[in-house]
Amino acid sequence: MALDTATTREALLSVRDLTVAAEGGRVVLDRISFELKPRQILSVIGESGSGKTVLARALASWLSAPLHITGGEVLFEGRDLVSDPAHARSLAGREIAYVGGNPAGALDPTMTVGAQLVEKLRAVRPDIPAAQAREKAVRLLEAVKIPSAERRFHEYPFQYSGGMMQRAMIVDALISDPALLIADNITQPLDVTVAAQILKLMRELNENFSTAVLFICSSLPVACDAADEVMVLHAGRVVERQTPNALVVQPGHGYTRGLIEELPTLWEGGPEGRDTRQDREQAAIMSVRGVAKHYETRGKSGKALVQAVRNVEFDVFPGDNFGIVGESGCGKSSLMRLLTGLERPDAGSIFFENENVGEASPRRLRELRRRFQLVLQDPYGSLPPQSSIGSIVEEPLKIHRLGSRAKRRERARAALSEVGLADSLYDSLPTGLSAGQRQRLNVARAMVLEPRLLIMDETLSALDQTEQGKLLDLFERLQAQHGFTYIFISHDLTMVRRVCSRIAVMYLGETVEVAPNERLFFDPGHPYSRALLSAAPTLEERRYRPEDCLLEGEPPSPIDLPPGCAFAGRCPHAFDRCRRENPALRSRGGQALAACFLNDETPEEDRDE
Amino acid sequence: MFIVRFLARRLLQGAVIVFLVSALIFTLLRVVPGDPVRLMAGGMAPEALIEQIAEDMGLRDPIYQQFGRYVAGVVQGDLGQSFVRPANGAAVGGASFDDSTRGERAEVWDLIAQTAPMTLQLALLAMAFALVIAVPIGVWGGLRPGRLPDRIALYLSSLFVSLPNFWLGIVLALLLSVHLELVPAIGYEGFAYTILPAFVLAIEIAPFIIRTLTVSVAGVMGQSFIDIAAVRGLTRNQIVFRHAIKNSSVPLLNLLGVQFSMLLGGVLVIEFIFDYPGLGLLTINAVMQRDFPLIQGIAIVTAAAFVLINIVVDLCATAIDPRLDY
Repeated sequence: MALDTATTREALLSVRDLTVAAEGGRVVLDRISFELKPRQILSVIGESGSGKTVLARALASWLSAPLHITGGEVLFEGRDLVSDPAHARSLAGREIAYVGGNPAGALDPTMTVGAQLVEKLRAVRPDIPAAQAREKAVRLLEAVKIPSAERRFHEYPFQYSGGMMQRAMIVDALISDPALLIADNITQPLDVTVAAQILKLMRELNENFSTAVLFICSSLPVACDAADEVMVLHAGRVVERQTPNALVVQPGHGYTRGLIEELPTLWEGGPEGRDTRQDREQAAIMSVRGVAKHYETRGKSGKALVQAVRNVEFDVFPGDNFGIVGESGCGKSSLMRLLTGLERPDAGSIFFENENVGEASPRRLRELRRRFQLVLQDPYGSLPPQSSIGSIVEEPLKIHRLGSRAKRRERARAALSEVGLADSLYDSLPTGLSAGQRQRLNVARAMVLEPRLLIMDETLSALDQTEQGKLLDLFERLQAQHGFTYIFISHDLTMVRRVCSRIAVMYLGETVEVAPNERLFFDPGHPYSRALLSAAPTLEERRYRPEDCLLEGEPPSPIDLPPGCAFAGRCPHAFDRCRRENPALRSRGGQALAACFLNDETPEEDRDE
Repeated sequence: MFIVRFLARRLLQGAVIVFLVSALIFTLLRVVPGDPVRLMAGGMAPEALIEQIAEDMGLRDPIYQQFGRYVAGVVQGDLGQSFVRPANGAAVGGASFDDSTRGERAEVWDLIAQTAPMTLQLALLAMAFALVIAVPIGVWGGLRPGRLPDRIALYLSSLFVSLPNFWLGIVLALLLSVHLELVPAIGYEGFAYTILPAFVLAIEIAPFIIRTLTVSVAGVMGQSFIDIAAVRGLTRNQIVFRHAIKNSSVPLLNLLGVQFSMLLGGVLVIEFIFDYPGLGLLTINAVMQRDFPLIQGIAIVTAAAFVLINIVVDLCATAIDPRLDY
């Protein structure tokens, strides 16, 4: 008994044999036990289905049917929450705060952010007067580095960007001075550079506000970055708990070992990559020159131009695996629509096999599409749910009036078997297919026309690590057999590092750098590329540190862009010229191009080979 | 600034709509068979007199000329004079073409101005009744989708929607006025006369409100900001009354706008049954007497009311949900 009180006094949260089961008796969390000391940050990682989120919800008293706690106890400051739900509810939002992974939908869209922060504080601490609550909210918005917090206080959630909204939700959690913060996948929906800032912020807040944090996430590098200790959850059980360094060096459990081994690397394995030198004599299969596209939006303040794509230039050569990377809002998807002729550019030209896609007649465009095809991101929305798998694959052949009925069927079957889908699926509907199988089907549909160029728009981002690997192998095999050229549009640096031979980096509608794989990762020519690399989640020793590469802040809005270089506002090396003039892409030698004035200062002999 | 541009744009659009409506009504009325002059002058009037009156009134001019004259009047606030109704308010109908006491004909604007407030009163009361009946049922159903309250809401609205209003009107008049003598039913001699027709109308509108509310409340309750509000520490009452109802009120507002416009346009059957002296009754009589200027006037006023109500609804919706952009 004496020992018992001693441990509970020390631990803020003490979970003992916590078991959660679904209605049918299926056990989701199996005798979870751990302790969390005040001010400690503990990461919880595990794959989807391992029970991470259920644990977070159980601790926040937020389990909903069919899940319920069937055993164990959760001692918070020595009092059991499982046997005393009323006490648990009174702690929710006050002593135990929760931040989720969906900041965009977390607040009422019809009320200002400030009003909701005040409402929340006064709901859990009615004794605080409204004026004081308001003052505190503004102070905390400043503390999480929301620019002009006083004004932002009166803005609505839809006027916040994703990263800012997540900061506001952190304020929402911390405003009641909780002892425990449960952060459930808070960086997942954010871009890497923004996520890195949020992580840094969370650590600072942990020091300043002495809040203990339970940091739940699915990425091992992020978990290791964020926490003092990492707890690994597998199939509803705690399989190990160690400090990040020890965990990476000496994983104790097979699951953790597998996780670490599977983790793709950015720099390890040397500068080999998948590099193939281009034969420059060969004509480019796709050549993009100075392409721009803007969209008109009508807001309350009148019409505005969104400059989605401003100045994109690159060449793709036959047999290339060309990557286009950038964060959300950089114009990747608008560019995809231009490359495939779904929309026409406002300026510039796109040549596919020496024919201008941007100016081709609709009829000619359809003929051209036989030779370049598109595979999309969403495995669910991109397939018609009412057509059988066979007819989905046959449809492109029908559209282009190729072959007889029997011939089409034969080709469709061949395509299905090539992507690894069973022949028996031919007549069934796509309803039962997994996300990975659906993407295989999408690939089959695209390649049945025997195109020369395949454009993959975030094709793999909806899949988990293992499935991604399998599909990448498939792409490689198909390339060897059919001589495809790929364009991968992606936000995932590790994927691009693994498969692409040359990579274009986009920032706010511009290609800021185009370079061969190894050159981009080992000698990036643009500060934004360095910032991206510094923020990429990895366990390796970083070549670039976020502190040196990225200033606080978020990309400017594509509606009113500052003059000069768009990255200048976040660039630690920006000087006067960057704010006046926008640099153009210039050769750095070795087929590498970058749009940055800093490169002008490098000695002449380095540049040309 | 936003509000000025918004109003300028919408009022301009509204003016165009009203103009088109009046042009359409004007043309159609002159194309349909039946000579209004014959009705005005009475069956016994000689043919020559009819022609003379028609000439005097400009009814034999080309339609566009007539329309031009009419529009010129409307712009100055003159909706013209009734063909049939005398200004002194004597009985309608034109049996005696030579009755000098009836020479002065009634101004359309005055006729509408007398009846429109009555209809407005009826519509407002009907709306109030409908909201009192439907909002609690609808919200309750929306908070528990698929469960008993939701089903009660569904059954009640099916019941209400399948009651014919003329039948309900007559039955309630018999029950409440004749047998129980609680409220008066026929004609209008005071506010009490509005209650029964308003109630019958409310029963007619309530199902739409109930359905809209259950669906939108259930939709809002499923959204993540409601889900997470409890974890943030808000109480159930705060969640339902401050967030759920506010967010689900925009679809309701749109529905109310349409319903209210329809009520204002004149509730023909109900006003006829209860002999309620509103726009509806005026419309019925105007149509039966081929009183073209009156029909046109009612059409224009109704169209204008429709436009204005929609502007108000959209303004309210933007005030509730700032994301909306009209």
